[in-house]
Amino acid sequence: MINTNQQSSSAWLGNLARAVRFETMHWVIIGLIFAVFALGSFGSERFATLTNIFNVQDQLVALAIIALAQTLVILSGGIDLSFAGLLGLLCVFFAGFNAQDGETLALAFAATLALGAFLGAINGAITAFIGVHPFIVTLGTSTILTGLALLHSSQPGGSVALFFEDVAYARLGGVPYGFIFVVLLYIFTAFMLWRSNFGIRLYAIGNNEAAAKVSGVPVKQTKVLVYMLSGLLASLAAIYMVGRFGVGDPRAGVGFDLRSITPVIVGGTLLAGGFGGVLGTALAVILLSLLANALNLMNVSSFYQWIIEGVIIICAVSVLVGRSKK
Amino acid sequence: MSTAILAARNLSKSFGPNQVLSDIEFEVHPGTAVALCGENGAGKSTLIKLMTGVYQPSSGHIEFCEKTVNWRTPSEGIRAGVAVVHQEFSTLSALSVAENIFLEALPRNWLGLIDRKKLRENTLALLTSLEIQLDPDQIVGELSVAQAQMVEIAKALRTSAKVLILDEPSAVLSQQETAHLFKIINSLRSKGLAVVYVSHRLDEIFEICTDIAVIKDGVVTSAGAIKEYDHQKIISAMVGRELGDIFPDKAKYPTDEVVLELKQLRNSSFDHAIDLTLGRGEILGIAGLVGSGRTELAQSIYGAKAASGKVFLEGVELAKRTPSKCLAAGIAMLTEGRKTDGLFGNSSVAHNYISSTICKGANSLSIAPELAAKRSAKVVAQFNVVVDDLGLPISHLSGGNQQKILLGRLLENQPKVLILDEPTRGVDVGAKAEIYRHLRELADQGLSILVISSELIEVVGLCDRVCVMRDGEMVATLAADQISEDRIMSIAASEDAPQVDETAVLQLAGGIA
Repeated sequence: MINTNQQSSSAWLGNLARAVRFETMHWVIIGLIFAVFALGSFGSERFATLTNIFNVQDQLVALAIIALAQTLVILSGGIDLSFAGLLGLLCVFFAGFNAQDGETLALAFAATLALGAFLGAINGAITAFIGVHPFIVTLGTSTILTGLALLHSSQPGGSVALFFEDVAYARLGGVPYGFIFVVLLYIFTAFMLWRSNFGIRLYAIGNNEAAAKVSGVPVKQTKVLVYMLSGLLASLAAIYMVGRFGVGDPRAGVGFDLRSITPVIVGGTLLAGGFGGVLGTALAVILLSLLANALNLMNVSSFYQWIIEGVIIICAVSVLVGRSKK
Repeated sequence: MSTAILAARNLSKSFGPNQVLSDIEFEVHPGTAVALCGENGAGKSTLIKLMTGVYQPSSGHIEFCEKTVNWRTPSEGIRAGVAVVHQEFSTLSALSVAENIFLEALPRNWLGLIDRKKLRENTLALLTSLEIQLDPDQIVGELSVAQAQMVEIAKALRTSAKVLILDEPSAVLSQQETAHLFKIINSLRSKGLAVVYVSHRLDEIFEICTDIAVIKDGVVTSAGAIKEYDHQKIISAMVGRELGDIFPDKAKYPTDEVVLELKQLRNSSFDHAIDLTLGRGEILGIAGLVGSGRTELAQSIYGAKAASGKVFLEGVELAKRTPSKCLAAGIAMLTEGRKTDGLFGNSSVAHNYISSTICKGANSLSIAPELAAKRSAKVVAQFNVVVDDLGLPISHLSGGNQQKILLGRLLENQPKVLILDEPTRGVDVGAKAEIYRHLRELADQGLSILVISSELIEVVGLCDRVCVMRDGEMVATLAADQISEDRIMSIAASEDAPQVDETAVLQLAGGIA
């Protein structure tokens, strides 16, 4: 028989949220982070400075939020390619309020979050209730939203209160507010994946949708909810971006559709869904941001950065495939 | 007699033009266990899905506790008290044992958050009451198939169910585990639980059930108390014919001419070198437990797996074999997984049929579009394939019809040797009989056939000679007059064999029923 007392603590630690459980993959990424760190320190004397590290933290905020959204969607067995258009539209929308005082700013906040969640829910509803593959649905909405954003303003426009820009640039003992917010967001998400019904449903659906359905999981509602959350997180990223730029750029989301997938895959989450979590994504975001930063400081052309990023993606997936074959 | 707790009244279900069930009357009473029998495709699983809210009836209705119910989702049925263990596993490999069992009923605290501690305690309590030894925190993907099945059963019994439906629960269980399951079922039944038990294994049905209902072609053909039945009566209600009608006569013209010869063939799955000959017009059976090296032997002959040793076809050595070379030389193989490496599921029936001989009959410049349909019309007539439209994806066909198309596809290569790995898996009895008849006709015309099968009765009924494998070794060859189920089984699962897989023995014993 199972020894209950002995098991309970170790199993609890071992299982401490599937979402943040350490896998071999994570150690590989940590190793790579150290390697990049060594490379950066060797290649540029500006790299291994506190100032630079805080800068990297600043630079990764938007990507981290979007990658978190993508992680949730991919865990559920879906994919969200709508960020390119969605971020652009949300930026233009938020900046369009020209919020100069606290009251308008609060309104702009609420409206932007609501719009993001609403657009995400549309993605989810079409996927869940009509049954169109999310790849196609979100590709379609992304194109539509890009068009809408550019129709509204073809150039960056609008504005936001200066004091909000200050918040976006503010730091606590050198650490950017944005980074602290992202860390809290990741911890909160990991907690919810572990302790909420929604979290378990997400894994269940991604793992085996038919089995989840006969187990009584409300598959469609859960799907709508996950795309809605994805849209909500996109709103947060958009608000942050407007805070940083001071204007709403309709092209702010360009490239984020594919860039959001990279950290999820590199972080070891299965593209088919069901397996993985936010720890891998967090580590991968750090790795990719540090790498870009190091190469920048070493004056390596960004074209090389693309090549290196591509190699990392393929290697990461090869490791995963090799592992699942065993 | 008490009133029925769950009943189907005048129940019909069609999918498009296909009437799957018609006017089904079925009931189950508290404290009884009803066996639901029928061939593959008879409609058992559909009936279960209707009674649990997965499907909705086309006409007729379901009664639960004497009230008409109209469950739209599985969760409504579960909530009412109908627990079901589905044939296809509904366990989730990414979740833990506890999460699987209590999915959608996870204990939560006042904040609505999952109470992990309580979840663990509840799971342990349930598992202990069912005498199942598993760690609640283990991920189900790490469990054995039998353990996962136990999780599935625990999950079904988590609620205070009034009806428990088990769809082939013992298919993956060992003898011991099946006995354990029966103990659980009997104790629950004595407390008033109603049980519906679907199984192909008649012995189990006689052991565990009190009543029986037989479905054939979507109609209940026979129902009553189990004590009024014997094996023969159940089979004839299922099949509509006697068992003896299924197998054709043995070889009419035995010859000594050797077509295929293996010399010292071996690979990592069968590390004892194998010598074997296959005569012209002979049907040779390879029996043995799952994992004894049967499939790997076939794959090695066909060049799908690397092996040392030599293979001669009509006296000519086939060196560096690959599937395409073997096919060209005259060896064709039917794989055991129809869905995984047999069919092109999304392609049409016609394109599946011609897929290994695409250019046959075409002129050198192009393949006429109607050629595929024209060619496959021939096989449809020859093998009596039931298909509305050759342009339909082959996945729409029943298992038996798919298998006939696959067999026809291999024959298009005009092989001298046909290797068949589990030729009738997932094929209903009617189609089985037809396939056996065709195989014997082909053999009589001079084709040499190697049949690998887990269905003992198939090996005994069909083959002229049987080789028995055990743990990667060819341990015996039985001539026609030595072939019997008992004999094959005692050799295949011999006591001195170190690791005998009980599950496999059971599968072997399951036979055609």
